[in-house]
Amino acid sequence: MNHVVVQMTVTLLTINDMKRYYEMVSGTVKALDGVDLEVKEGERIILLGPSGSGKTTLLNCIAALDSPTAGTYSFEGKEVPRNAPEEMTTFRRENIGYVFQFFNLLQDLTVIENILLIQELAGGRDEKRARELLALVGLEAEVDRFPTEISGGQQQRVAIARSLAKKPKLLLGDELTGNLDTKTSSMVMEVLVKACEAEGITTVFVTHDESLIRYATRVIRLDSGIVITDQDA
Amino acid sequence: MVGVMSGIAFGHYAHMTTNMYSDIYKDSEEGVNLADVWVENPRGVWEYTESDTLCEEISLQWSDADLPMVECEPRLILDGLLFDTEENGSQRLVPAVWHGIDEGYVDRVWMPEDSCCNGRLAVESNEIVLDAHAVDGLGVELGDTISIGAGQGKMNFTIVGFGYHPMHLYFAAPGSIVPAESGKFATGYLTSEGLESLANVSSGTSNMLLIDILGSPDYDLQSTDDNEGEELAEIIDSMLITVTDIDSSTIVYDRSGVESVEFLRADAEGAMKTYPVITGMLVIVAGITIFLSLQRLIQSQAREIAILRTLGIPRSAIMPSYILAPAVIGLYGTILGILGGIFLGAPAMESVYETVFGIPAIGGSTVNSSILEISAITMLLVMFSGIWPAWQAANLDPLKVLRGQHEVKLSSKTIQKFTSRLPTTIGLTIRSSTRKPIRLVFTFFAVGLSMLILGSMLFMMDSMEDLFLGNAGENSNWDQQAIVFPGMEDAITEWADENALDYELLLTMPASPDGDSRQLVAMGLDVFSTSGNEAMQTLNLVEGSLPSEGTDPPEALVDEGIQHFLGWGVGEVQSIRFGSQAVDFKIVGITEGEIARTVYFHRADLAAEVDLEATSVLLSYPDGFGQTTDLGDMSIGIIDKQETIDAMESLMETQQAFFIAIQFLGIVIAIVVLFNTLIINLAERDLELATLRVLGAPIKRIGSMMLGEHFAIGLIGGVLGAIFSILGTQWMISQLVQWSFYFKVNADPLISSYLVAIVLFISVALTPLGMWRVYRMDLVEKVKDFSN
Repeated sequence: MNHVVVQMTVTLLTINDMKRYYEMVSGTVKALDGVDLEVKEGERIILLGPSGSGKTTLLNCIAALDSPTAGTYSFEGKEVPRNAPEEMTTFRRENIGYVFQFFNLLQDLTVIENILLIQELAGGRDEKRARELLALVGLEAEVDRFPTEISGGQQQRVAIARSLAKKPKLLLGDELTGNLDTKTSSMVMEVLVKACEAEGITTVFVTHDESLIRYATRVIRLDSGIVITDQDA
Repeated sequence: MVGVMSGIAFGHYAHMTTNMYSDIYKDSEEGVNLADVWVENPRGVWEYTESDTLCEEISLQWSDADLPMVECEPRLILDGLLFDTEENGSQRLVPAVWHGIDEGYVDRVWMPEDSCCNGRLAVESNEIVLDAHAVDGLGVELGDTISIGAGQGKMNFTIVGFGYHPMHLYFAAPGSIVPAESGKFATGYLTSEGLESLANVSSGTSNMLLIDILGSPDYDLQSTDDNEGEELAEIIDSMLITVTDIDSSTIVYDRSGVESVEFLRADAEGAMKTYPVITGMLVIVAGITIFLSLQRLIQSQAREIAILRTLGIPRSAIMPSYILAPAVIGLYGTILGILGGIFLGAPAMESVYETVFGIPAIGGSTVNSSILEISAITMLLVMFSGIWPAWQAANLDPLKVLRGQHEVKLSSKTIQKFTSRLPTTIGLTIRSSTRKPIRLVFTFFAVGLSMLILGSMLFMMDSMEDLFLGNAGENSNWDQQAIVFPGMEDAITEWADENALDYELLLTMPASPDGDSRQLVAMGLDVFSTSGNEAMQTLNLVEGSLPSEGTDPPEALVDEGIQHFLGWGVGEVQSIRFGSQAVDFKIVGITEGEIARTVYFHRADLAAEVDLEATSVLLSYPDGFGQTTDLGDMSIGIIDKQETIDAMESLMETQQAFFIAIQFLGIVIAIVVLFNTLIINLAERDLELATLRVLGAPIKRIGSMMLGEHFAIGLIGGVLGAIFSILGTQWMISQLVQWSFYFKVNADPLISSYLVAIVLFISVALTPLGMWRVYRMDLVEKVKDFSN
């Protein structure tokens, strides 16, 4: 008897005709002008494009930091809240991890405290998991050090561990290696890929750096607020 | 603005009162020619020949050629009653003091050109000038006839004028320190013949000699340790020997021994001492507020400054604008403060003065030099407060600012270690609150000062209320005190027996510590008790025990003020003088709650020393006891307990608006200071808070952290503010108290808790504002900032 193995790819989020317009004194700025996007679980997507192409705006809308002017956005089949700061925050807390370009670690907290804080704010402190995550990003020896006492690459790895602390379904990153040299960037990306695979987390990153394509499973290029190419890496 | 305005207002009050009293007392046509020395017979009266001899001897024995005596004028001053007929026809007894003025060269009646006063001096023996303080309450007019009494006598007099007298400018009934309500006490100025016929005494009878010395020699101020009037003290010592050779009971004192003169001087001196302190406090708070506000401004403009610096603008070009900012703010505030002070504050203080003291505030003008001084100091302080923020602005590191790292400031290692075992949210809250300890110290200091402004008013009001109402209310089991001529107490005790009334004799005599010119009251009580109804007047014993009767030397209690000023303590044998007679006694206890300096003896012991039995009778009435004029006919004056309490309550009420205004000021300052600090704290953590929000921190959790921080700052600030307030008020009072007016500030736990609660409330109430700020945070912009 022949067995046919069908790999089920589950859709994580779906965006249809998303628009984000800003009303400025000089006129309407169309940051997103009708973006369609479907992201499946386990994908590692990189958003590329020149400045002003709309990639950060798209990332902000996916993170529910910003509300689209028009279009639909559903996450796991449910409409994502918009124009409701607290509901959007809840959505982020429950689903999204975020890594910043400048790490944004709380300088007055140790490496492990930075992770514990997020857990506490999300409702459950779990020191064991915090230590596991730090081990995952190779920082088990630095748990009690302060951000100012470790390198930029290490800080970004802490930020990755922090973003994974509450087990997000989707990890977003905006120029997360933009502040690092090439060697450190590679190391951070390798750690990130390893961690996300281990945790089964889907990722979407914004970058200018074409060399990072090798860490992606899919590359989307934007320009003038629309998707111009969308292809597997 | 508030500092300058308050400084000018309080300064105006201080200068106005000082100048005004000096003008009133002046030895000139316009002034009243206040006596320089008073020679008093506290136990009775002198016949004409006796007073004549005394004046002659004083003149002959005069010891100082540089300060010659100009006048020795006998005067008869008697306690008495005014029989006020009310609308329903019933008669009300008003305690009074009557002056029989003969020549009237010294201690003249003051009738300024003002709506308060009109008419003329009494010339005929049936004429009287009524003190203007009493006019409104009695509802009398010029030409009205009033019925007055002194001792057994009662007569009608026609009112020919309304004016003031230097011995009653501070208008309080004998034995009371609270200004009397209008119509509840009266003083009148008659011709000597008029009072003699009223009291049924022979012509030329007197009980006071008014000594006028050329010019106004300095006298020893009770508020200082130095003796400013050594020359006058020598004259008084010499005069005391002269007069006590003739009459051993005679007492001699200078202006410090006249209650009205001393109270008003103490008030003016107190105002003079406190207005720079209050102004300084307000200006320092203003400086701190400007300092904090500028820091906030620089923080919000950090990016612009950094861009300018990156574009090559030198530090020297950035600093002046931030020095100029407080200078401009200060200049505006000072100008508004000057205008507010001159046109609002100063008139308001005059109004408060007129309401409390009942004297027209005449001749007061805001002193230009003090306006200049206050404004200059304010401008200097305000500009000084801008130097550090301006230096900070000029020295911002552009790179750090543009990376958002200039706001990164860590808490101390100790705090980090201390909080490492706490939940991270609590640890972060504590660390965040203590990152800028200097700012926090400034904030607590400013909150402490604002609480001092608020708390000093509350503590003082409470302490004074306790003092006045405690003595007049809780400690007094009597309803009326009937003052009698020595030896006339029997008539009242018989009347009391007939009416089955409880009574107790009281003997009070003026005295002075041996070798000291300051006046005190020696009081003889029949019953000593610290509580209950056993004694008519109970005492607050704070140390030692109650005295036993009939010991040698006699045992006595002294009040805390005597202990404070003279250092007398329990177990010591000390001496006081009644005229030339020195009396030794053993101190067995210390009492508290007396405003005037008091020594308590058993009446029998004191009577044996001064050869008098009683000077008044304390009477307690059963409920519903019908008052008659009998008591008035038998006594020379009546003090009514309820009226004393009413007077105090009325005094508190008249000052309520003023107190509320000061309290409001304190609260507003606390709000501004806390608002600035807490908002800066938040603004500095925008990066942290935005990061937490992006990472999904719910506003409620951030609110809880903020609440915890504000609660901690409020609690610490409140406790420090309350402590600051208690210590500050005690220090201020220690600067103001003097021999004739001593009281302590009680650190009332209720008021202390109230102060803590206010700061706590303000701090916690600012939490929603902070939450709103975070809630409204534009996270897209913040994320953009992070990336820039």
